[in-house]
Amino acid sequence: MVEVSRRTFLKASAVTGGTLAASNFLFEGIKSVSKADVLAVAPVEDRVFTTCWIGKQDCGMSARRIDGRVVKFEGMAGHPRNDGTLCPKGQAQIISIYDPNRVKTPLVRTNGKGVTGEWRQASWDEALGLVAEQVNRVRAEDPSLVLWQKGRSKSSALYDNAFTKAIGSSKLGHGAYCSDTGYRALEYTLGLHGVLNPDLVNNRYLLAWGWNITNAGGNKFCWITWPRQMLEAREKGMKIVHVDPRLRAAGPFADEWVPIRPSTDLALALALCNELIAQGYLDRPYLAKFTNGPYLVGDDGLILKETFGEGDEAVDVAFVWDETTNSAKLATEATQPALEGDWTVEGKTYTTGFELFKAHVARYTAEWAAEVCGVDASVIRRMASEFGENAQIGATTIVDGVEVPYRPVGIMAYHMAQQELGFQALRAMTMVTMLVGAVGAVGGQLADTTWKIDKNYAAFEELKVGDPPYDFTLKGSKYFPINSGFPGMVAKVMQDPGRYGVENLPKVVILHHVNPVLAFTSQPDFLESYKKFEFVVSISPWLSETADLFADVVLPAATIEKYEGPLSASDGYIDAQVLRLPPMEPLFESKGEADIYLDLADKIGVLSGEGGYIEQINAELQLVDTEFALPDGERPQVRDIFDRWAKAQGLSGIDYFEQKGVWVKGPLSPDKVYGYVSDPPFGSAVHRLYGESLLKAQRLMKEKGAEEIYWRDYTAFPTWRAPTMEGSPPEYEFYLISYKLVEHKQSRTTLVPLLTELSGKQRLDINPAAARRLGIADGDAVIVESHNAVTGETRTLQTVASFTEGMRPDVVGMPHHFGSWAHPASKDLGPTPNGVFFTGEGYMGQTADASFHVKVKVTKAGGEA
Amino acid sequence: MTRYAMVVDLDRCQGCRACVEACKIENNTPSAVFWMYVFRLEEGEFPNTKMSFLPRPCQHCNNAPCVKVCPVGARYKRDDGLVLTDFDRCIGCRYCEVACPYGVNYFNWRGPEEAWAPYGVPFDDPDLAAVTGGAFPAYRNPDHDRLYGPEQRRTSGSSHYKGVVEKCTFCVHRVEQGLLPACVDTCPVGALKFGDTDDERSPISTFLRNHEHFQLLEELGTDPSVHYVGSTPPRSDAREIERPLTGV
Repeated sequence: MVEVSRRTFLKASAVTGGTLAASNFLFEGIKSVSKADVLAVAPVEDRVFTTCWIGKQDCGMSARRIDGRVVKFEGMAGHPRNDGTLCPKGQAQIISIYDPNRVKTPLVRTNGKGVTGEWRQASWDEALGLVAEQVNRVRAEDPSLVLWQKGRSKSSALYDNAFTKAIGSSKLGHGAYCSDTGYRALEYTLGLHGVLNPDLVNNRYLLAWGWNITNAGGNKFCWITWPRQMLEAREKGMKIVHVDPRLRAAGPFADEWVPIRPSTDLALALALCNELIAQGYLDRPYLAKFTNGPYLVGDDGLILKETFGEGDEAVDVAFVWDETTNSAKLATEATQPALEGDWTVEGKTYTTGFELFKAHVARYTAEWAAEVCGVDASVIRRMASEFGENAQIGATTIVDGVEVPYRPVGIMAYHMAQQELGFQALRAMTMVTMLVGAVGAVGGQLADTTWKIDKNYAAFEELKVGDPPYDFTLKGSKYFPINSGFPGMVAKVMQDPGRYGVENLPKVVILHHVNPVLAFTSQPDFLESYKKFEFVVSISPWLSETADLFADVVLPAATIEKYEGPLSASDGYIDAQVLRLPPMEPLFESKGEADIYLDLADKIGVLSGEGGYIEQINAELQLVDTEFALPDGERPQVRDIFDRWAKAQGLSGIDYFEQKGVWVKGPLSPDKVYGYVSDPPFGSAVHRLYGESLLKAQRLMKEKGAEEIYWRDYTAFPTWRAPTMEGSPPEYEFYLISYKLVEHKQSRTTLVPLLTELSGKQRLDINPAAARRLGIADGDAVIVESHNAVTGETRTLQTVASFTEGMRPDVVGMPHHFGSWAHPASKDLGPTPNGVFFTGEGYMGQTADASFHVKVKVTKAGGEA
Repeated sequence: MTRYAMVVDLDRCQGCRACVEACKIENNTPSAVFWMYVFRLEEGEFPNTKMSFLPRPCQHCNNAPCVKVCPVGARYKRDDGLVLTDFDRCIGCRYCEVACPYGVNYFNWRGPEEAWAPYGVPFDDPDLAAVTGGAFPAYRNPDHDRLYGPEQRRTSGSSHYKGVVEKCTFCVHRVEQGLLPACVDTCPVGALKFGDTDDERSPISTFLRNHEHFQLLEELGTDPSVHYVGSTPPRSDAREIERPLTGV
């Protein structure tokens, strides 16, 4: 029975989730529904498990579906990382899954490149055929000139590894913009593939060094996991000292804020080392037994060694001074290696690495660092004494029946690694924790969830400094003997290969969820370099800005509606794995990347046969010689690939994940968590206090004619120098920093309208006193002009001043999630700071890694400052 | 008799606004409407700066000014503590909005099409509608099509009729199913709690007994059902930072 009331709406709108277009909901002139008629047809409701697509850490989700239509994602209960909860990104992603602005079908460009694209829709068959033709054309010449470039990948086995091996392409990641230099520093120093993070469960005193606590970001995790662990630790009494020019990152969770000058983290870490030594906070047993501190170093800076074996089998063993016999002994034979002293061995004088370190850091006093860092000397001394005191040097605890050191102090530092002096800053910060013996101790310093030694640890013992020609990443070159693979440097090389001794440039690029012209620093370099590619294909759910300007073909990837993985679900203490399962069919004509690569491999002609994609998948998923190996010769279904993987793990199959959501294996064994518990301790890595191979690399670089700007930071110990940007004229008085917001992750979230709504418009965070001095009021339009101290180039952007007392007066900051133009919800929200950052010499790290620092001047727009 | 209340633990809130988004998805609210809102606040001067986060849902006052001023009985207090709006009765006079000291009411100046337009996501796109049946928004929650409470009134979700006032319902449609409000359910750090304060043994009653707590603008005598734990009320010199886009 229909009753027409004053304020009404259409009957059908109230039934089963609505079947009407928006216009039918307009208030004017619509009819009503009686209460009795509401929900005459009961919708069918169910839930399916899946994995968050939008964030970094792959939280478990349960999708609520009504008649097969997903209406909400909620956290998966019992998932180690998020246990029934979701962050704002996890919640909001649903709107973008249903976004008709997604690329619906394969697209082929119909206009010239470098301007906004015009497109025609194509079939998958045609589009993949076009891509295969270009890939094969270049493969015939040299497969490595096909470049596979990713922003993010959630199935490295199937995409990064199996596919690129099958086609023989080069690959390039985004890590050099993220945290790679931290990884390199830790691989070098401790042998671990990770960046500094503490044993939060047991930690008592944390240097949250650039840790963006309340805005996500970190080693392996994104947001939910670490803040939960941080809160629990803090409720048990952990003190957080927040070392960052900007308070907002830690917000209310900073027990103490140390607003450090940007890019001076190395200086502070060196001063802390000096103070710890001066105040006597040294774990001598650790330093003597597990570091190269006791190694004998000659006047030439080289370690005294003896070589055993020949050729590839050759092993160098260092000498130490054995206090038991009062003689030089091989480190493997000495019972009591001396940490300090100097001796004559076979007519030459030697001292120890540790003795040299003490002498090296002696110049870095608290007073000296106070000048450099803009932090009071008394604060630096107190930080050192609090760190040393809380380390409880000598204390032990029992884990798994083993007595191990208990050192509840640590450092959290992840993205702060990406600065000009980042590699050595992270080395020095690691040394702060090494001096007190916190590495691998309970409550102390961790970096990974394994103590398995990374392959780079051995590779870094003898750094390769080769002769040209170099490949376009400059790996093994005289410029970057340690090289993270840096898209910014590649962009430089592509503009001027001759300058860097490069003969061959990549010709075809496959962009896998990556948007370099927006997401990477030094936008002008990317706008220029992508013109050089002969053929560009973009695989993404949206038309990225890079695709808009440069893609020849766009292949629409699905968002969450696909099979993908396997993915870790560990929180650092519990071992777990998960898959991404599709909560619905791919929307429009999109496909999951695994399907795209299977079909593309087929078109290219590398699906089957020796070294083909199927064989590579079997290898990467460790299915070779098992009953679950994919049969060669037939195009597999993606669900079947993961079903076989699941069975190979001893599970019933993919149905395990469909029914249970996550495979929780149980607590991570303590030997994975604590270096002292692993057998042998620390995976038998000798921690490199003294970086002999860095010094040797410097000498080789000089020999081969590399300029000082490349070799100057290849020093055995972290050594302070003023960052290059300090050479800018004084009117460039501010340091510009960029940062991440909790609403966003990389650039994909800028396509989620609910999130761009939350994050608002672009702004320049500025200290009110500093702004007023320049006649700038809160909300004023301002011009930010950056200056390159090497080339003299300047770049500008316009944005709006936003006052905050949580910023050092000599620093301005901008979130980096802006500058989009290809989506209606994110265009016109303001510029990306990547337009005014630089890349290349002086504005990158020694390991081919990005820096996010530049000196700028700020003026009120449209008037005199 | 059940009496629902919420606790906000300011010592745990990270200001992430997951609650804001969970509310928006669950209740299908359009652009610039935040039934749950989290202020990000700053006080003091560099370097003695204090930052804080303040989630603010409808306070579901026990002495609710909005209920008193509603001329048509659309805004009412239920026996279980929920303060709700009957969309079939609301005449859009906005007295509730004026009376509320917490700023939680949203008057619908715009009809649904206009209110959703800023998101730039046309849910009536034919290719999308082929999958969603034209649901508006595409993730439309059918729970809001039901009637709630002993009186069976239309109180749930954001139907977003032009000319009515909306606000947080404590997720009446979920609470009646025995679920937590969407904001509480999603909070990654346990900063939001919800339960029955009439039951002395309920977790929320126990928590409140064991923690100092305060209400927002206690001095006004509105007696909110939302209790804040940890930290202190924001000072009068607190400044809001990081405001979202407010649409119109």
